[in-house]
Amino acid sequence: MVRETRGDGYDSFGASAEGAALGLAATRLLYERYFRVQSEGIDQVPASGPVIVAANHSGSLPLDAFMLCADLLRNTDPPRPPRPVIDRFVPKLPFVGTFFSRVGAIDGARRNVELALERGELVVVFPEGTPGIGKPFSERYRLQPWRVGHVELALSARAPIVPVAIVGAEEQMPTLAKLDLHPFGAPYLPIVATPFPLPVKYRIRYGAPIALHEELDGDPRDPALLAAGAARIKAEVQAMIDEGLRTRAGVFR
Amino acid sequence: MSRYLITGATTAVGEALIRELLQHDDTERVLAVGAEEVRARSVEIDGRVRYLRLDLTRERNIRRLMFGAAREERVEVIVDMASHRGLRSGRRARALNVLETRHILRLAEEHPTLRRFVYRSYGEVYDRSGLLPSVIDETHPLDLRPRAPQWVRDRIEADLSVCQRMGMSDLTIAILRCAECLAPGTGSQLYDYLRSQVCFRPLGYDPVINLISVEDLGRALALAARSDARGIFTVPGATTLPLSEVVRRHGRRGVPVPGPLMMPLYGARRAVLRTDFDYRINRGRLHMGGVLDGRRAAEILGYEPEVTVTFGVD
Repeated sequence: MVRETRGDGYDSFGASAEGAALGLAATRLLYERYFRVQSEGIDQVPASGPVIVAANHSGSLPLDAFMLCADLLRNTDPPRPPRPVIDRFVPKLPFVGTFFSRVGAIDGARRNVELALERGELVVVFPEGTPGIGKPFSERYRLQPWRVGHVELALSARAPIVPVAIVGAEEQMPTLAKLDLHPFGAPYLPIVATPFPLPVKYRIRYGAPIALHEELDGDPRDPALLAAGAARIKAEVQAMIDEGLRTRAGVFR
Repeated sequence: MSRYLITGATTAVGEALIRELLQHDDTERVLAVGAEEVRARSVEIDGRVRYLRLDLTRERNIRRLMFGAAREERVEVIVDMASHRGLRSGRRARALNVLETRHILRLAEEHPTLRRFVYRSYGEVYDRSGLLPSVIDETHPLDLRPRAPQWVRDRIEADLSVCQRMGMSDLTIAILRCAECLAPGTGSQLYDYLRSQVCFRPLGYDPVINLISVEDLGRALALAARSDARGIFTVPGATTLPLSEVVRRHGRRGVPVPGPLMMPLYGARRAVLRTDFDYRINRGRLHMGGVLDGRRAAEILGYEPEVTVTFGVD
């Protein structure tokens, strides 16, 4: 696991090797025992160079992001430390923001993501954003509007996008309602059906990398081009989700 | 270009800059200007250096300098670093922090031999609110809060006063917005913060801070002085650490306290001990991290941070 750290053990975003180890340790029981994560196709993730991993997002709490990042760190060879891109209210949360920073998360400002890609890092994005994580249970596994920022960054950095489907997280903690309250700038306060996440079985499936910079011809700032690229990734993720739902034995096994 | 005028020369950074310039054989003359008489020996380390003690808060003195000694010495480059080192406010502080820069720049444009103006600015001019990138480059918004303390306002006003002349002047102008230099006499708020045995920080926050050593800062300024590059450059340092680690490495005890207590605690410290650290200035960066992005300085000036900061030295 190598990141630019300038010899002090911390990189420009505040991540450290100790933080990554802490993150791995903190997720170990959840990954191995509680959610019993089943990973398929991790070899689709390029071993080096800039890459964007784009996944669906769900489950009221961002445990799907933790499981995906743990999966990437545990199963890539050599290990590629992921850079999850977090919503811009998260760094303002006390304790949470600091923890995310140490494990390698970056504030979702364009410049931060550009820099990570320039350094050849693996960036993890959830293009649905908070509407994905907070969608009602009745809309489970139906992707919310898919943002285009990751497509623009992939085109300008000439980075492939690896589509990822996470199946299981939708049922871990169904959202019943959302209160229009905004502590620390959060978009809402969720009312959830269970006091803690249910021990659902996670299935993480990686698709083949999509080199949009080779497929799409045109100005990478053209809104129509970006929409076409985003639709391509979204369709791929949705197809992988549908396949995962068809083949799974059940929510808890 | 080999004949330099340096204001703020008696600071640790000024001395480092002079040492750096004197390493080059083509440096013919350094006219060093400072406010202190007693420090002259620390900068007149070579026959090529001439030290002048001047109060640059007076416009007449600036005029005398520019059309007296600077003309005699046929100075080609100014590196302007003069500013109040402590947290002073009021008309006299502004006279040095802002008006001195405006006057000296205006007179430099009329000067017969001057061709280049390098202004040492501060990374603290950037906005550090949590909704902006944590990696800060030259395009990052400035901290234009309406109620910003004079310390911040002065630095931004001086910086923008220099920006204003870019492209409108025959001088080549460069502004270096530098990371914080943790050394005495450099105007570092963090240096004063770390002078207490116990350093409070907001509970739940541990932002990343980038610090530059005196040596790197002197080198960056020398590179800018010796080049023809125009524009703004953010200048990072080689040390990037969380605040808690900065406090620990400096041999201090870090105590997290609930955020609302920070203002009264540091307000009381200032009032009782007459110290410089002002929580109003530092509130943003004690919560949210921000590291300067030195790509432009690396590409154009050839500056890369090399020397890490030495902690635990008062």
